[in-house]
Amino acid sequence: MLKGCMRTPTGKDAPTVPEKRMFCMGTIINDFTINIATANGTGSQSANLILLQSLFEMGVPVSGKNLFPSNISGLPTWYIVRLSDKGYQAPGDRTHIQVLVNPATWDEDLAALEPGSVVIWNSDTKGMTVERDDVVSYPVPMSTLARKINPKIAKLVTNIIYVGVLAELLGIDQTCLEAAVSKQFKGKASAVELNITALGLGREHCREELTKEDPYAVEAREVKKPQFFIEGNEAAALGAHYGGVQLLAWYPITPSSSLAEGIINYIPRLRTDDDGKATMAVIQAEDELAAAGMVLGAGWAGGRGMTATSGPGISLMQEFIGLAYFAEVPSVFWDVTRVGPSTGLPTRTQQSDIAMLYEGSHGDTQHIVLIPGTVEECFEFGWRAFDYAERFQTPVFGMSDLDLGMNRWACGGFTYPDVPMDRGKVVREQDVFDAFETFGRYLDVDGDGIPYRTLPGSGMAPILYRGTGHNPMGVYSEKPEDYYNLMQRLRMKIDGARDALPAPVLREEAECEVGIVFLGSMENSIQEIDDILEETGLKVSQCRVRALPFHSEVESFIRRHETVIVLEINRDGQLYGILRRELPNDLVTKVHSVAYSDGMPPRARIYAERIKATLEEVKQ
Amino acid sequence: MSEEPARAIKLNVINEPKDSYTGGPSSLCPGCGHDQISTVIINAAWENGIEPHRIAKMSGIGCSSKTPAYYLGQSHGFNTVHGRMPSVTTGAYAVNKDLLYLGVSGDGDSASIGIGQLIHAIRRNVDMVYIIENNGVYGLTKGQYSATADIGSKKKKGPTNETQPIDLCALAINLGCTFVARSFSGSKKQLTSLIKAAMSHKGFALIDVISPCVTFNNNDESMRSYSYVKENEVTLHMADYIPHFNPVEEIEVPEGHFKDITLHDGSTIRLETISEEHDPGDAMAALSALHAAESDGKHVTGLLYFDASKPSLVEDLGLVDEALLDVPDEVLRPNQASLDALNAEFLS
Repeated sequence: MLKGCMRTPTGKDAPTVPEKRMFCMGTIINDFTINIATANGTGSQSANLILLQSLFEMGVPVSGKNLFPSNISGLPTWYIVRLSDKGYQAPGDRTHIQVLVNPATWDEDLAALEPGSVVIWNSDTKGMTVERDDVVSYPVPMSTLARKINPKIAKLVTNIIYVGVLAELLGIDQTCLEAAVSKQFKGKASAVELNITALGLGREHCREELTKEDPYAVEAREVKKPQFFIEGNEAAALGAHYGGVQLLAWYPITPSSSLAEGIINYIPRLRTDDDGKATMAVIQAEDELAAAGMVLGAGWAGGRGMTATSGPGISLMQEFIGLAYFAEVPSVFWDVTRVGPSTGLPTRTQQSDIAMLYEGSHGDTQHIVLIPGTVEECFEFGWRAFDYAERFQTPVFGMSDLDLGMNRWACGGFTYPDVPMDRGKVVREQDVFDAFETFGRYLDVDGDGIPYRTLPGSGMAPILYRGTGHNPMGVYSEKPEDYYNLMQRLRMKIDGARDALPAPVLREEAECEVGIVFLGSMENSIQEIDDILEETGLKVSQCRVRALPFHSEVESFIRRHETVIVLEINRDGQLYGILRRELPNDLVTKVHSVAYSDGMPPRARIYAERIKATLEEVKQ
Repeated sequence: MSEEPARAIKLNVINEPKDSYTGGPSSLCPGCGHDQISTVIINAAWENGIEPHRIAKMSGIGCSSKTPAYYLGQSHGFNTVHGRMPSVTTGAYAVNKDLLYLGVSGDGDSASIGIGQLIHAIRRNVDMVYIIENNGVYGLTKGQYSATADIGSKKKKGPTNETQPIDLCALAINLGCTFVARSFSGSKKQLTSLIKAAMSHKGFALIDVISPCVTFNNNDESMRSYSYVKENEVTLHMADYIPHFNPVEEIEVPEGHFKDITLHDGSTIRLETISEEHDPGDAMAALSALHAAESDGKHVTGLLYFDASKPSLVEDLGLVDEALLDVPDEVLRPNQASLDALNAEFLS
């Protein structure tokens, strides 16, 4: 059950101080977690985003995680808001403030709370009450208040009432709240007015009917560098535009649809000429196979094609991925990963497609995988992916995940590409072509494994591209030496990409014996993991891998440490498996796997404890 | 090399010899219907005066899909994966609309593994010629029935087929395909006219060509053998193609009824009535002809259905006038100011 995994078990982590004393321990500022339990399709998402944005407007370091079901309306949804002056963005170990609106999960949510927690609950919920005396209980007749505004849309307004209550209880600034409302409804006057009225009712009820008995409060913070909130998928979509994408072929799938739709949404603004005509095409394909085929067609024709999908889509695209590798067709695939195998937990996050992307399709293959860990990198890799695909004439993957892709993250702004578009070794002019002594589509002229290509329609060196064995001239061949040489060249080509790809991000302190290798959205939990480890006297270095095949700096990092933990959000340690196979023998024994996944965004303490346990085992 | 005095080489309207349109030697079985179709493709492209390098040869997997190696050696091509040629063509066409996409497929490719892609390429009206070399069996895997095998037909080995076939022409008509024809690899003249007309059409042009498999499905009990099809072909009309660049060349005005259809490039296909007049604008009549032929164990050939009114996919996409391939990098990548403005808005 989902519920069980949302919280660390009570017991050993429960506070040892008596609850009564805790209430008078003084105020806890900007360091707690709010969990809001609603049903999806009730408008709770906009209420929750207003809460998140208002805190962000105040400069409070805050993160929001939407735990939603694969359903349009009616199933349980939780939204976790974590406030942390230390900048921690993981969901945290426990809930401090629980908002109860959904009767379906009411009892379980209530039972899971640790003593001393705060409960804000809709007292109009039929048959539901809060009978625990070890929690701070704030009953709010949310439905009654909502009906006062407009009975027809009471259900939607109910959600905004609890935001008003929270604002009053915690001390959220009204100006920031109003700015958040305006942003959420893009300034639409009627919606803004309605929501501000509802927020007011929530505040008023709180002032008049409730007495504050909890220690939690928010305080505005100076922000050194201005920032905004954006989802990874939107950032990657913008990146694709700045990469000059010419064809988006896609098939809707959670959690990648908002990446494709992000691209579509920005076409009028970024990719349309004065006559309203676009410089890119979008085709919603009949399935992921067709989407991949269209991307290959675009690459073969000389254009920049991409698709956005998730694990199940990549499974369907395997055949084309092999063709793109073998026939050397530039193509870009974004995989916003979710929990597998099979349909898995379609709305939960995981890093479990690493092996499938790196070695996608049957036969011996090896692919370039770009792994952003921040929204800035989603943007950057969004445009760089095309450069790599065309430079190395091969499929390139962007590997994001649901947590990074569909949640909002603070961003300081996007940086314009610092290099012109790299279109690779394409022979476009006849005189350039004529200068070749022999032109073969798969002839390694430069010794880097990357051949030259001409484009359909050019009239230069036409060949029949094929997924069958071929010689350097592109002609069908089953000769042993042709096949062997081709496969060796392909390996050399992708191997040669290692140090051209984004280098790992290293955070290294001298004399650290333990190094942690991790990737992707774990970036958002690593600092907290690091701090938990440090509390126990263990200082570690960090190496965030940003691309496959591994950059040579990854190996150097491992060499500099006594013990290396490979940390990832999956069961089997997929990154660890690849690393183990590629490292020199003398380094293999240094490297150990900590892989864990329960569908939740990574909670720092779970990973920190597993790292410690693994290090203990290694010592023995 | 011949030592005889050089004869004048016949050139087409763009001064290219037919050699510019030929390909490598075929590795198919001697007598294969597919080789006849390859010859017709070469002739049609040459006579139509299409620049060879402006053609893109597309195919999937199977005997038919190997044939692009045997024609149009000066054209780029892509022998893709089984049943997936339509999607690859769609992507290439979106990026470069200025090529003539010539797809060749088989009944395994089009009626089974790739039927979904075929359907959606038709639905989108991808601007391409789509030739199905249809023999009712899988050749490369040695003679299994395909989904177009006729009920009551028996291939060389194994039982009689009792499974309902898929009629790809009927399917295409129902999907609103803008050019639907059936022909026979043995009817060279008709097939040439139809392929030329398909090349002049803007939109998805499907030609289902019955192309007997001499190795696995040319026996007496087969309904797709040369002899069976010759005896049981019902020809809707005599088809003549009149190219736009030479509207009067060698075309006699027929004595009986005929119908001229103007194609997108200004060429004409002239359909000369044989017995009853078939109106290619009438989908119901086309379906009716297909069903009548099927229930009589016959194969109806000719231009079944034609509709010039629908926009092709690229016309629907709202793109700039030039092919996307020709849009310069500086235009493809939005400028620095656009990103500065976005950053500023996000921060506001």
